[in-house]
Amino acid sequence: MSLVKIDNLWKIYPLLAGDVVALGGVSLEIKAGDYVSIMGQSGSGKSTMLNLLGCLDKPSRGQYWLGDADVATLTDEQLSVVRNERIGFVFQSFNLIPWLTIEENVEVPLFYQGIAPAARRAKSMEMLSLVGLGDRVGHKPNELSGGQRQRAAIARALVNDPLIILADEPTGNLDSATTLEILDLFDELNQNGCTIIMVTHEADVAERTRRVIVLRDGELESDRTQAPQGGKR
Amino acid sequence: MSLSLFKFRDMVILGLHGVVVHKVRSVLTILGILFGVWSVIAMLAINAGLSVQSQKALRRLGSTNIIINSIKPETDAANSGAYNGALVYGLTLRDVERLGTNTPGVVESAILHKTQKTACAGEHIRAVGVLGIEPNYLAVANGEVSRGRFISDLDILLCRNVCVIPQSFANRMFPADDALGKDLHLLDSDGKPFHIVGIMETLPAALESQLGESGDAVLVPLSTSRAEFGSMTIRYSQGSRSVEQVDISQCILRMENESAVIRGAGVVRNLLQRDHPQGDYALKVPVEEIKLMKADMRRWNVMFFLIASISLLVGGIGIMNIMLASVTERTREIGVRRALGAKKQDIVTQFLVEAVTLTTLGGLLGIGIGTFVPWILQQILAIETLITPMTLIVPFVMAVVVGLLSGFYPALRAAKLDPIDALRHE
Repeated sequence: MSLVKIDNLWKIYPLLAGDVVALGGVSLEIKAGDYVSIMGQSGSGKSTMLNLLGCLDKPSRGQYWLGDADVATLTDEQLSVVRNERIGFVFQSFNLIPWLTIEENVEVPLFYQGIAPAARRAKSMEMLSLVGLGDRVGHKPNELSGGQRQRAAIARALVNDPLIILADEPTGNLDSATTLEILDLFDELNQNGCTIIMVTHEADVAERTRRVIVLRDGELESDRTQAPQGGKR
Repeated sequence: MSLSLFKFRDMVILGLHGVVVHKVRSVLTILGILFGVWSVIAMLAINAGLSVQSQKALRRLGSTNIIINSIKPETDAANSGAYNGALVYGLTLRDVERLGTNTPGVVESAILHKTQKTACAGEHIRAVGVLGIEPNYLAVANGEVSRGRFISDLDILLCRNVCVIPQSFANRMFPADDALGKDLHLLDSDGKPFHIVGIMETLPAALESQLGESGDAVLVPLSTSRAEFGSMTIRYSQGSRSVEQVDISQCILRMENESAVIRGAGVVRNLLQRDHPQGDYALKVPVEEIKLMKADMRRWNVMFFLIASISLLVGGIGIMNIMLASVTERTREIGVRRALGAKKQDIVTQFLVEAVTLTTLGGLLGIGIGTFVPWILQQILAIETLITPMTLIVPFVMAVVVGLLSGFYPALRAAKLDPIDALRHE
């Protein structure tokens, strides 16, 4: 059964000079446990696709099913709940809140669920231990290396037990060694059943995924499955 | 859209966290509100103090009294009753009887006759107002004898040469001795000295209008005053001589209660206007003056309040400015929070809590300093100040409301940020 299903999804930005079609009728399905990379050149629509998949934006036309929810029809408030409960975000620039400790950063999604502080802390500690940061919980983001920050961001993405993890160029700000470290972590999460959708423009990163979707000018150019390369597999 | 209590508590903690983390910004904002609150408190306290001080002074005159003083009229119209070239003016015994009979609610009346004499005790000589009074004057005018006794009925009956003097005058005339029991000579009398039988720490407030700046006075029995000095006062100045005749210098009508004062004052006014068209009297009704003063103080309060509110408004603008800067500075954080599930309402609450926390802290500190500053003014400038619960509550509530209002727009702006744009913000 499909975890993500989009059908004829359009995103059009109306501008004075004329409408700009960022995404033009894309349809695809992603199954639970998939490890997908979305590729494409700059302006191909991959960020738009990620924003729509992450419920940060609403499509102009078309349908988007995440689990059993028809996301395209939801209100702003309902979309917040979907983001909070069903999606885990990993950003290129980590987007950790600088004045919170990493433990507090990981707690943020649970905070908006109204979970008790003790339970939040326990869950957040569990996730930080999972990504290998169990001994750095009291540190502020600026006291960590890039790789550690991204690990903390991954812990935050996992803390709400999401249906999918959306990663936007997660290795874009990392050196090669740390990139491999983070990709290994993604591999591990995927092997444990996490559905991961990753936007990247780096072919060697996309090689680590099992399915590669390529967008071009807002349309689906190719959608192929592959045997993942490299890593600890 | 309902926030759970649990979540609300956490939102408050989050807001407080924001205040603590951005220390410099928070302190500067708090200072703005602090100055506003303490200036409102100080102004209200000073005004309330002045009001109480004035009301006390008026109440010392007696809140159930109507005081009528004889005054020299501005025109020569008063001369209609001229006798031997004397300027005759002021109240007469007939007036007092008529006022007592026709004014409803009069309990009793006390009269006073003043002449200007020279007092002499050993080598000490001073000009002094000699006030002929009856024994009931003390109670009617809220006076008090600190040592010795007051003028008695027997003193009146026997026209005794006894007197009561204020402590300040006693100190001047008898600097080295206790004046009580001593004799005082009043020139122009038949030569018999006046025995000092009582000392008053302060004279009744109603007498203030009868005395000069020195406040020197000698209180003697009215009968003795009439017998010794008559009702004529002769003044010599620059080679000329003027003679004035005043029968009664002051009459105090004590009324049943304060409402009787209001009603009675109208009647007294009408009677005096009819009988003394030359205007040789001055009517003083403390209750009326207190009412006027209260209305006046209310106006001043509003004005002070408005002036001081400007500083609170400036504080509020400061908060809005800082909160707007904070929203811009934390745009990315807002984007992250929205991406991770914060609803618009959560963002509004977070920023509102921050703003209200800042103003509440500023308000509380302002109350602390605001209660201290009037005390300092009281010590340094000898200004009476009064801090009532309302003096503290009103500026504090205002500060919190200012925080809510000035924090609302930035909070709303933060909540309306598009999550995608906010996440891209550098």
